[in-house]
Amino acid sequence: MNQVKIIEMNKVSTIYEGEKTPSLLGISLYVNQGEFVCIIGPNGAGKTTLLETLNGLLPHTEGQIRIMGQDIRERGIFLRKKIGYVPQEFTVDSLSPFLVKDIVLMGRYGQIGLLKNISRNDHLLVDNSLKVMGIEELKYRPIGKLSGGQLQKVMIARVWAKKPTILFLDEPFSNLDYHTTYKVARKISSFHEENHLTTLMVMHDLNSLPERCNRIIHLEEGKIVKDDIPEKVLTEDLLETAAR
Amino acid sequence: MSILTILPLKTIIITLLGTCLAGAVCSLIGAFIVRMKLTSLGFCMSHAAFAGSALGLALSLPPLWFALGFSILVAFILGPLTDKSRLQPEVILGILFSLTMALGLTFLNFIPDSAMSSTAMSILWGSILGITSIDVLRLSVLTFTVILIIILFFKEFHAIMFNRKMAEASGISTKPFYYLILFLTGITVAFSIKLVGGLLIFALIVNPASSAYQFFYDFKKILIFSPLFGILFSLGGIVLSFLLDFPVGSSIAIISSIGFGISVMLSPKRKKG
Repeated sequence: MNQVKIIEMNKVSTIYEGEKTPSLLGISLYVNQGEFVCIIGPNGAGKTTLLETLNGLLPHTEGQIRIMGQDIRERGIFLRKKIGYVPQEFTVDSLSPFLVKDIVLMGRYGQIGLLKNISRNDHLLVDNSLKVMGIEELKYRPIGKLSGGQLQKVMIARVWAKKPTILFLDEPFSNLDYHTTYKVARKISSFHEENHLTTLMVMHDLNSLPERCNRIIHLEEGKIVKDDIPEKVLTEDLLETAAR
Repeated sequence: MSILTILPLKTIIITLLGTCLAGAVCSLIGAFIVRMKLTSLGFCMSHAAFAGSALGLALSLPPLWFALGFSILVAFILGPLTDKSRLQPEVILGILFSLTMALGLTFLNFIPDSAMSSTAMSILWGSILGITSIDVLRLSVLTFTVILIIILFFKEFHAIMFNRKMAEASGISTKPFYYLILFLTGITVAFSIKLVGGLLIFALIVNPASSAYQFFYDFKKILIFSPLFGILFSLGGIVLSFLLDFPVGSSIAIISSIGFGISVMLSPKRKKG
């Protein structure tokens, strides 16, 4: 089968301003269209940095990143319109003047483009995303009044409304109980299955690995230590270390 | 009330129009400044405009253009400095605040005739009678422009007000819009300084917007009610100024602070249950 490389990272390093040690060190990585890749590793391994470097929110200091064949440095704004990003443990102040429907609709703002009006279709996509995530009743609720789990679902609905080509999820289960984690993991798997959506997901809890995940990248100290199918990466040693 | 009987009707109309426009445009900009937690920007811009006006007067040149130049300079310094340095905007504003205040007071000493002439005092505290029809025209154009910009780029501002990083992640180039808010704040402060005065104009930027934030969870409603509160508080300030012969800037600051206090007490956001 002819596979299209949708993400290409070539010897990429990222150093945070003022730091001396790079958070990512010479990473080379290729992801094919439609792959479901999980990124694992201990705290501080560079998992979030990897996602934010890939979508250009963090500038890389060395190497080259190409998304859909285009350089992220030159075409960052355009490419981020195609990438859905759910950040890790997103928080909102309780008096924040935004409703859930606004936050989900904002996911589409980049797609709609400058000086263009929000259409009926955009509102329909918002309604559909809220329905898919099972949170229609939250539509008119202030965003600051939600629980951590509800907020997490809103952030996933937001990227779903965006209809992205690539999906980046940073620990999407961090605020969810076991039951909700299972339901959301199923939902993410079905997004991937139905839309052939290239998905990169940072994970902490290896027990909630989505069934569609067909590749795991193990990061440590800003370097890839293993990159293979789940059966080969998830060794007994690794699972024991993660359980500790 | 005696001052009202002395003033010609045209002057009263111009004053009231100018007051409403300054109240509306300052509070509209304030809705963004308060949400961005940049209330110190209001202080800083107003003192920069004050320093600029004082320099203009010291050089016997039009104070408005110097006020405009100084406020815009603060916007141009703050934006890139916040983005490029690892300093919080509040830290940079704190330093600029003391610098602009020091410059303003220094320039006041160089104003010809008397250091505390009536013109200098009006820059500090505002003046009802200082407003001309040209000022009203300028404020009208500014208010219309600000409203137009907000309508045209509502999506972008809306997303940035929620979270700048998430707006960037959704494919919006946030930097030009962030700088645009700073730039518009500079112009708004410079055009309104004549009415409210350099020392207290930030009260008109911060207080009505902060009051509107007490009532609504919808940013669109805040953009509508913030200027309405701004007009209400400014008119209240003008009435107080007329009645008790207080400086107009002080009167507006007093009324808008009382308005904010009442808003906090009535705020549905703070009610339990």
